[in-house]
Amino acid sequence: MAGDIVDITLLSLYVSSTSTLVATAVAVPVGIALGLREIGSQRLLKNILFTLYGLPPVLAGLLVFLLVSRGGPLGPLGLLFTPLGMVIAQVVVVTPIILGITMSVVSTVESRLKETAFVLGADAHQLRVTVMREATAGILTAVMVGFGRAISEVGAVFIVGRHIEGQTQVLTTTIITDIEQAAYGHAIAVGIILLVIAGLVYSLLYRLQERTLQ
Amino acid sequence: MHFRAPRRFFAILAASALVLMAVGVVISNVGLHREYILMATTTSTRDTGLLSVLLPAFRDATGIEVRYIAVGTGQALDAGRRGDVDIVIVHAPMLEIQFLADGQGLCRNQVMFNRFVIVGPRDDPASVAQATSAIDAFRRIAENESLFESRADNSGTHTKELELWALAGLSASTFGSWYERTSQGMAATLTISNERDSYTLSDDGTWFALEGALPFLRLLYSTDEPVLQNVYSVIPVNPAVHSNVVFEKAVAFARWLIGLDAQRLIAEFTVNGHPIFTPAPVGGC
Amino acid sequence: MTMSVEVEALRKSFDRRNVLVDVDLHIPPGEILAVIGPNGAGKTTLLRIVDFLLRPDAGAVRYDGRDGPADPEARLALRRRISMVAQNPRLFRGSVFYSVSYGLCVRGVEPPELPIRTLQALEAVGLVDRLHARTSDLSAGEAQRVAFARAVVFRPDLLLLDEFAANLDPANARILEAAVLEYNRSTGTTVILVTHDMFQAKRLANRVALLYEGRIIESGSVIEFFDEPGDPRTRAFVRGELAY
Repeated sequence: MAGDIVDITLLSLYVSSTSTLVATAVAVPVGIALGLREIGSQRLLKNILFTLYGLPPVLAGLLVFLLVSRGGPLGPLGLLFTPLGMVIAQVVVVTPIILGITMSVVSTVESRLKETAFVLGADAHQLRVTVMREATAGILTAVMVGFGRAISEVGAVFIVGRHIEGQTQVLTTTIITDIEQAAYGHAIAVGIILLVIAGLVYSLLYRLQERTLQ
Repeated sequence: MHFRAPRRFFAILAASALVLMAVGVVISNVGLHREYILMATTTSTRDTGLLSVLLPAFRDATGIEVRYIAVGTGQALDAGRRGDVDIVIVHAPMLEIQFLADGQGLCRNQVMFNRFVIVGPRDDPASVAQATSAIDAFRRIAENESLFESRADNSGTHTKELELWALAGLSASTFGSWYERTSQGMAATLTISNERDSYTLSDDGTWFALEGALPFLRLLYSTDEPVLQNVYSVIPVNPAVHSNVVFEKAVAFARWLIGLDAQRLIAEFTVNGHPIFTPAPVGGC
Repeated sequence: MTMSVEVEALRKSFDRRNVLVDVDLHIPPGEILAVIGPNGAGKTTLLRIVDFLLRPDAGAVRYDGRDGPADPEARLALRRRISMVAQNPRLFRGSVFYSVSYGLCVRGVEPPELPIRTLQALEAVGLVDRLHARTSDLSAGEAQRVAFARAVVFRPDLLLLDEFAANLDPANARILEAAVLEYNRSTGTTVILVTHDMFQAKRLANRVALLYEGRIIESGSVIEFFDEPGDPRTRAFVRGELAY
């Protein structure tokens, strides 16, 4: 029923770190490219993205569940009730967030910076890299917000993982099942562990961000 | 030089993401055939704590590991229908029969039963403790219009509750504001009853497990009437419909559950000193 | 190396406001041309069009006698022969070294040549000791000098200066002006200098043009322009009497 708390914590870290990393690898380059485009075409895109910010993790979980269940198109892969399935569900939740914030941060890098790089002879790719460098602090914020969402969400991992002992138990699903069984004390303890873990990761990322702001 | 760093950074990022995904593939056992059985059961089954006794015993006896998901009755059977699990243990006889009739289940072993009980406020305003039958108890609650919590979640307990109202000649849809719908599991519903001094129908396992934390509630009505019996059965999923299920091990588990060793464990199992399950093996597998 | 620039019948307007009207300029290779005029006359717009930041509504700019190429690669190659220093330059985040060496890196210059030329450029503006300073720690004067070093380190054939010493105290301004003159003398680079400071124009330029309300009113050698201006508006401007 309640597995080893160390295993649970490690799995939480694994699932959320992996999903954040994958989402970052996809969302940051796309966000930079989109953020550099002209304002006009951005409005529709921003509308879609803002709607996806509000994509409830439970809905993402349901969609991935239907995808990877035996009856679904990816059924034969056997991803339901597995950590990898949970990672995929969280990637769906986190990618729009990182993408949107990156796009926002990049598009607000002042035109002066872009013009300066242009005037010094930068081609399109070099310009992108320069903008990205200037927007690094903001992009790190996007990653932190994304990770925060991943580590604290329960809807997606619960629906796709189902809190199976020895397999898919994470901190947030442990809190839910503790409450289901009225084990409130244990739930609070697990919650504190989750806050501590999140705090440690954030402090690491803050330190990184500080360095890039010089 | 100025432009190489990001390339390096993205290369590292992509590489780490791939490595971690690969780790995920390994720990998720993707594609490879499962060694263990995956079972779907209900939250109330999990909450009795019986599985923590039975599953390790089964593994010790046969070397077969059973892992399970605990969901609502409907979802447990649906998991069987989708082939997401190899075997189900539920306590909803009507739905089980339908499941088998649809060809989704291979066979069915009845394993045990416990009881539904009525709990309520210590002062028992509707005099449920003096009821002559379960149906009478429900009639008293309705006549007195005492606060009542319904799980309202299509669970086995909820289904039994509706059945009792019907047998008393009443319809839940006509009830006034004294009838409250929690839409939650048994533990949560009992907690709400405790807060609101209301009656509710519970299974005895969950009641005895949580009794200590529910000081404002009292066990008011508990008999061995057939209508209050909560029968548990185990059904392996039909491999003819879902070829991926680990059905030989599943059938082995179904048979072990009605064997002497399992039935003895079931009879000896107690929650806070109360025995709850009555062995009732009927084999079809 | 160097470049000639020809501006022909250039027109540009923003929101129905005419910023440049029929502007003609001929700038032979190696010349320092000062474009002076009141603020808002269109001087910055002119430079931005020359450096491909803006497109004119009509007219053309020719470089070495040829129109700006249509082919993107040729266009990029031409763009890389031109450089600009703005009035309040935007340095890049990080070290002075990063900012100054930026243009070299863009053009594929690698170590050891890259740091050597970077140091040389900083030497010319007297800031070698600030090589590893953070750009955010620089004073306004130092920042402007770094921006200048950044703009010339890759030896552009055409240098555009937009009020490049406007916010500097006289000492810093002098350093930069000396660097401009030295740069033009040693490499023969063509320079277009936009300024509202007539004395700076006198000190640096070979020729001067007055841009007033979007038009070139008068242009001529420094001596002609300041001592014997033809147009009454030129005379008024030189006397400090020409406003909007």
